[in-house]
Amino acid sequence: MSLNKPVKRPKLANEGVVGRFTFFVNRALLNIRQNIFVNLVTIGTITLAILIISLFMLVFVNLEGVSNDWSKRVQVTAYFEQELSPPELASLKSLVQAIPGTDRVTYVSKEEAFNRFRERLKGQELLLDGITTDVLPSSVEISLKSASRNSDAISAYVARLKKVPGITEVQYGEEWVQRYTTFMNFMRMAGLLLGSFLFLAVVFIVSNTIKLTIYSRKEELEILGLVGATRFFIKAPFLIEGILQGAAGAGLALVILTGCYYAFLHNAGNFLSFNPAASGLAFLPPVHIAGLFVSGVLLGFIGSITSLKRFVSV
Amino acid sequence: MIQLHNVFLSYQKEVTALHGINLRVPRGEFIFLTGPSGAGKSTLLRLLYAALIPTRGQVVIDGQNVTRMTRSQIPYLRRSIGVVFQDFKLLPNRTVLENVAITLEVLGWGKQDINKKVYHILKQMGLEHKINATPLRLSGGEQQRVALARALVNDPKILLADEPTGNLDEENKDLILNIFKDANIRGTTVVVATHDKRLIENSHKRIVSLDKGKIVEGPDVAQ
Repeated sequence: MSLNKPVKRPKLANEGVVGRFTFFVNRALLNIRQNIFVNLVTIGTITLAILIISLFMLVFVNLEGVSNDWSKRVQVTAYFEQELSPPELASLKSLVQAIPGTDRVTYVSKEEAFNRFRERLKGQELLLDGITTDVLPSSVEISLKSASRNSDAISAYVARLKKVPGITEVQYGEEWVQRYTTFMNFMRMAGLLLGSFLFLAVVFIVSNTIKLTIYSRKEELEILGLVGATRFFIKAPFLIEGILQGAAGAGLALVILTGCYYAFLHNAGNFLSFNPAASGLAFLPPVHIAGLFVSGVLLGFIGSITSLKRFVSV
Repeated sequence: MIQLHNVFLSYQKEVTALHGINLRVPRGEFIFLTGPSGAGKSTLLRLLYAALIPTRGQVVIDGQNVTRMTRSQIPYLRRSIGVVFQDFKLLPNRTVLENVAITLEVLGWGKQDINKKVYHILKQMGLEHKINATPLRLSGGEQQRVALARALVNDPKILLADEPTGNLDEENKDLILNIFKDANIRGTTVVVATHDKRLIENSHKRIVSLDKGKIVEGPDVAQ
């Protein structure tokens, strides 16, 4: 028979979901304060990881932008057998417009073609003396939708275009398109590979850092297990800590990225002359920024959950 | 309170740490587990707080068969067991109050109740003036008393101690032994694993001797 008076169990604090959540958040914040060094190490690692990935994305997004500008130069020009009357021209335009992949169809009259030619010869207009506007043929210039701006799609497009009655000749800078397509495929492949390796490396480093920081606190996990804490009770504050570390790391990385962008990079476009049309490098679109932030939070959370699995055996 | 029936435990296939242990510790009893290093004392204690599950045999604690428990039931068993170690296992970056409070936080107690109860137990241990110190500022004896406070603060049914006086001087050993006796008087079943002969002789309690994973001396040998 036990002489122990049964423990007079006081009214439980932090009852209910909100109460327990508040308790765990407070516990996580206390843990961060009491283990400030290991927390700073983890946050620093996540910051660097997200910064590396975001810089890579910044470069990639801008290259995509440049390539998109370049691809707008892919244009198909169709010449006619004979001059067309306005109704004939209208029906031809609608036939061309009906071909899948067509973005915009512009008619270039003989006069306009001649004027453009004159523009190009600026300073040497004398060469055109005695030449009439008749010398150049009229044409339609067709710009393509972005999905059709690669060499295979263009070949197929041109084959259909040639079947349109009245069109005799089609030009589209075949060699340039081929080179451009090869280059872009290479860029995408290299980007994907580089991005994947970078991502794997970052995940590996962050998860190992978190593992080490949790390892350094394995005594705490052990003691909690000894005094009868459930797995959830042990893990919850660590997971919240992981999420907070991830959010802090990602937030810091994005602040640094924004700072670097406005300090150095937003004018770099001119310097690099990638794309004279744009005034500088573009910043990441909001979706990417949100994605990076969420990735940081996930890194912290998943890093913690996988590490805890090893150390919480209760 | 504690019953072991024909318990075998192998760490790997070749190494058998415990060979057919039969042990019965009635409620409110105080026993010493003794024997040379490697005899299986710590292993036996670890079976009692379900840190290990026997390879064969049954372990029954307070009427519950540990071998049949699911992983999620074990924490609830441990809430009725206090454990102390030779190396104290205190958290160095938390105060004495926070170290002892862990046991009650796990039970979901409110902060004010925790503070009152922790102060009360620390006063019993003669440590109320160290409530806000961190363990590294305490002597070995004081640290072990904090560990004991953590183990006893929720008045557990069983107190397990693994070489609790291994790092302490004679004066502190007596102090710790008295705390064990006090807890025992209040009804806690106490199991102390030690090879400290003086501690055992001073206490006049039942002794169970282990050697090479078998019980070699004590009332349960014949079983």
